Amino acid sequence: MATVQYELNRTHLAERNAYAASEKAILFDSSRCSGCKGCMVACKCWNMLPSPMELNSQEWNASLQCPYDLGPNTRLTITFRELDSTSPYRPVDWAIGRRACMHCTDAGCVNVCPTGALFHNEDGLVTYDASKCIGCSYCLGACPFDVPRHIGKDDLSGTAIRINKCTGCPDRVSHGMNPACVTTCQPGALQFGDRTEMVKIAEERAAALKAKGYENASVYGINEMGGTHVIYVLKYGLDGYELPANPSISWMTSASEIMKPVLGIGFIALVAGLGACLLSGIGYRRDELRYDEVNHDVIDVDTGDIVKHIDKEAGER
Amino acid sequence: MTGHYCDLSNADVLLSCGSNNLENHPVSSKWVQRALDAGATWIVVDPRYTRTASQADIYCPIRSGTDIAFYGGLINYIIENRLEQTEYVNEYTNATYLIKDSYNFDPETGFFSGWSEADHKYDTSAWGYQVESETDGAQAWMSEAGVPKYTPKAVKTIKRIASIDDTSNPDYKHSVWAIMKEHYSRYTIETVCDICGMDAATLELVYKTYASTGAPEKSGTIMYALGQTQHHYGSQNTRIMTLVQLLLGNAGIAGGGVNALRGEPNVQGATDMAMLVFDFPGYLKWPSVTDTPTLRKWLETQPNAQGYYVNKPKFLIAGLKEWYGKNATVDNDYGYDWLPKIPKNGAIYTTIGTFELMDQGIMKGYFAWGQNPVVSDPNAKFNRNAMAKLDWLVVADWVVTATASFWNAPDMDPSQINTEVYLMPAALIYEKSGTIANSGRWLQWRQKAVEPIDEAKPDYEICDMLWREISKLYQAEGGACPEAILNVKWDYYVDGKIDPRPVAWALNGYEIDDSTDLGAKAPKLLPNFTKLTADGKTANAIWIYGGFYNNNADPYDPAIQPVARRHTKIDSEDGVNGKEMVPVPDKDPGNIRLYPSWAFSWPANRRVIYNRASADAKGKPWNPDRVLVAWDDSKKEWIRNDVPDFGFSTTAEDGTVTHNPPEKCPAFFMKDELHANFVTTGMKDAPLPEHYEPFETPVEKNLLNGALNSPMIKFAENESVKKGDRSQYPIVATTYSITEHWQTGAQTRMCPVLDEIQPRQFIEIGEALAAEKGIANGDEVVVFNNRSEVRMNALVTKRIQPLTVQGQTVHLVGMIHHWDWTNRYSTGEVTNELTPNVGDPNSFIPEYKAFLVDVRKA
Repeated sequence: MATVQYELNRTHLAERNAYAASEKAILFDSSRCSGCKGCMVACKCWNMLPSPMELNSQEWNASLQCPYDLGPNTRLTITFRELDSTSPYRPVDWAIGRRACMHCTDAGCVNVCPTGALFHNEDGLVTYDASKCIGCSYCLGACPFDVPRHIGKDDLSGTAIRINKCTGCPDRVSHGMNPACVTTCQPGALQFGDRTEMVKIAEERAAALKAKGYENASVYGINEMGGTHVIYVLKYGLDGYELPANPSISWMTSASEIMKPVLGIGFIALVAGLGACLLSGIGYRRDELRYDEVNHDVIDVDTGDIVKHIDKEAGER
Repeated sequence: MTGHYCDLSNADVLLSCGSNNLENHPVSSKWVQRALDAGATWIVVDPRYTRTASQADIYCPIRSGTDIAFYGGLINYIIENRLEQTEYVNEYTNATYLIKDSYNFDPETGFFSGWSEADHKYDTSAWGYQVESETDGAQAWMSEAGVPKYTPKAVKTIKRIASIDDTSNPDYKHSVWAIMKEHYSRYTIETVCDICGMDAATLELVYKTYASTGAPEKSGTIMYALGQTQHHYGSQNTRIMTLVQLLLGNAGIAGGGVNALRGEPNVQGATDMAMLVFDFPGYLKWPSVTDTPTLRKWLETQPNAQGYYVNKPKFLIAGLKEWYGKNATVDNDYGYDWLPKIPKNGAIYTTIGTFELMDQGIMKGYFAWGQNPVVSDPNAKFNRNAMAKLDWLVVADWVVTATASFWNAPDMDPSQINTEVYLMPAALIYEKSGTIANSGRWLQWRQKAVEPIDEAKPDYEICDMLWREISKLYQAEGGACPEAILNVKWDYYVDGKIDPRPVAWALNGYEIDDSTDLGAKAPKLLPNFTKLTADGKTANAIWIYGGFYNNNADPYDPAIQPVARRHTKIDSEDGVNGKEMVPVPDKDPGNIRLYPSWAFSWPANRRVIYNRASADAKGKPWNPDRVLVAWDDSKKEWIRNDVPDFGFSTTAEDGTVTHNPPEKCPAFFMKDELHANFVTTGMKDAPLPEHYEPFETPVEKNLLNGALNSPMIKFAENESVKKGDRSQYPIVATTYSITEHWQTGAQTRMCPVLDEIQPRQFIEIGEALAAEKGIANGDEVVVFNNRSEVRMNALVTKRIQPLTVQGQTVHLVGMIHHWDWTNRYSTGEVTNELTPNVGDPNSFIPEYKAFLVDVRKA
């Protein structure tokens, strides 16, 4: 049964080109985004994702970027980066970006999911069936954008038990509506439609921005990861938006993919997968890390240890 | 707004100054983006590089509180380079009018003529016109039965020069144009930069870009908000924008206007309804002891001599008929005497003065209804200590606000406070039916979505309960002036229960006879406010809303009223007809996004006010692609994409309607002069806006005149103000709102999802100042001045840059003001403990936006 599900995923990927025209995409135009975060609130409300309820319990990272990163109950966050100004008419190149699932064509998470919980729907968006999620967290390590998070913990093992990430609101899209974030966006920074159309709008917009003097303006997502279903117009180029220049599926994901048909799913896969994650040293438990913008440190929330220091001056991101 | 949100998309140049419109009015972004897509240029002038500025084509920093210098420089630039729209200025403004010889401004002292040191105010008649001749202003309706007797004002013909280029005329120097030209000649680019802390090249680019809208076919719009108004010369800030727009021919056209982006959606409604000491609903003057102690005095002073506002007596008397019903008769001056009159020192009853009265033990009781003054009013620490002297306090709100728990502030000792506090739980907007008005003057009806929880009640129901009890007490015990209460008509009931629909009839206006009783049956609703009369046969609570709820087919059904429109046609030309809701397509006559079949825009469903000015004297539109109204000379009629803001037609006795030719249709027909005003006697503090420094300023002298502050600043002498000096507190502070929270946060901090997207109160500090003070991003800091000290976290940013002002480096900090000690999910301290409780002499608005502080690391 599990193999069948897996094969379904593969089939979907392989036949993608056959119905590419019907695929949808979210367009995020950073040059129109005013950073109002209405999309974040709409996402939480529509998808019924809770916010912290204890007094003053929400962490603040001395930034307008709140929450600072995606979390177990946060599928979308707006990012703010102050880059050095490239114009005499502004003190800073203020890059306002968006962090959420990119809905890749070559989706590492879908490839690696041992139960078929994660899959592409007919619109090309990567969604999931939470009832099939076993909390293995493979998808975490498999995502080059560090997107998937898990809600809740297993009482015995302490491991996360259910995936949470942007689904593209299939419960709205299938009824002819736009995703919640797109619906609420006032300046039209978010649009939703046929992917080819979104790509066209994005390319025209980037060209217009270049003509206006934003030399680094570019489009992201046309070819990355086989083509993502979130297309970005980056007003100030790649640097301000926390996006990898050349995203790819890690070796570990490829490895686990090889293992999957051999091992099938279930306990063995889980153990093997966790082993792979631990060996690779990435992915696993990343949802419990926090970034300290003041000192540029990645901190383990449980222990308070500095896991990694980002040397910004050396160009590390 | 003189226009509306959708109209922003018609602009060629947009200027946001004193408005962070993308953050605080996100809906504006939709229309601004459409303008930009069509090739518009957007300028943002703001002390901080805001999220709004991040989208603009040109950003120009400005020192808080120097807007008049900035705009004065623009006026000088326009006049010097002759970039004004000359025909518009000649035809539609008072530029060619002659001002009395007594007018003078002395830059040495900073005073205009007419100043009385003893009274501490101006005699504004010193700035009046030279009158050529006077004729009787009586109109036929004034002598009809039932209209109170009064002597109408004489119509004055004012001396004028031929045009603004009539320089050889010996009287030229007395013309408004010449006076204005001379007045702003001091506002050179160099001086403006020195005052505002601007870069000359940037400023010149801003001026050049905005002044380009002086071309007849071009439109420029100004968006402003509290950044302009919250200064002790805030009303003059607003006026100077008007001057700029009139010079460039940008008032009354599509894509133009002076556009106040209002805060709370219903703040527009609140001002319409006159929630202010000096106003009567519909922007009429409330009676005062000094100027208008009798109805006759009001009628002889408040209306115009000519122009549409000559009808104000109708609006007031219809208002009194609504107020007192059949108790109001022509013999008792329609109950005018029962209205409370503003005393001589009325200013002390405005917000700032109220707390002084409490502090002095004069004011013993206080209603805070949907308002949270302990957080939102200036010098908040003084305010809450003043409140501790009250006998009683009533708060109507839907959470326990800081005002309701002022006694529980961290520095208050409840055991020492004897104020009895009552909290009346109020229903939320979604828990009651009624209307809401947006910035663009659009009224919409909203149905109740859910029942109020527990004992919460709509405001009108709370009001009704109070009314009944108070009436009972007056009936039983008499007391001072019981007539003022007992003669009031209070019949807003449906089936014996208080209901917003009869209130809507009252706001719309209706015919009355002896049997009229709103609680018993619906009256005959009037189609619009032109049907109001001064003979006591009509009633109307607020004339500007006339026509918003006028469908007599079923007055009990809000869904078929103009105010409930959702792209449906329910109105004929008169606005009244039938029960059918006929869906219409996205109707957009002229393709300029007027959308007349969506909601109701007061007055008369007019989307752009002063729209006669969108066409030239012959009625030809300045821009053929943006037609609001146009004269079709072959058909001898007006093309009306918008509802004309002028008397476009005359109806003969036999009912024949003929359109009035353009020359009979002045553009500003509501004004006494039928022209828009540059120089005015309508403001208390200046006939032309003049730059003064904020009450607390970082500079030693005013570079433009000899007065540091406006001579008319209000409340500055009060001891509670505790003025700070620049030597102690060198940093300029401003306060502002962020998109994530709303006002005092009492509502938004109760929404966990909003606390999550902005959980902490912060102060924005530039990198240079932070380095100087040893403050790192995220550090807790103490912000302090003479009034208080407040702790919050620092947000160190490149987005605030130090400014060079008069050769000195001036640092600026920005504080958000959405926090206090109450609430379930996030708490903070009260920013407004630092703001000075001084204000504007016209509007009494406090000076929140420019004051002095110092900052240290906690």
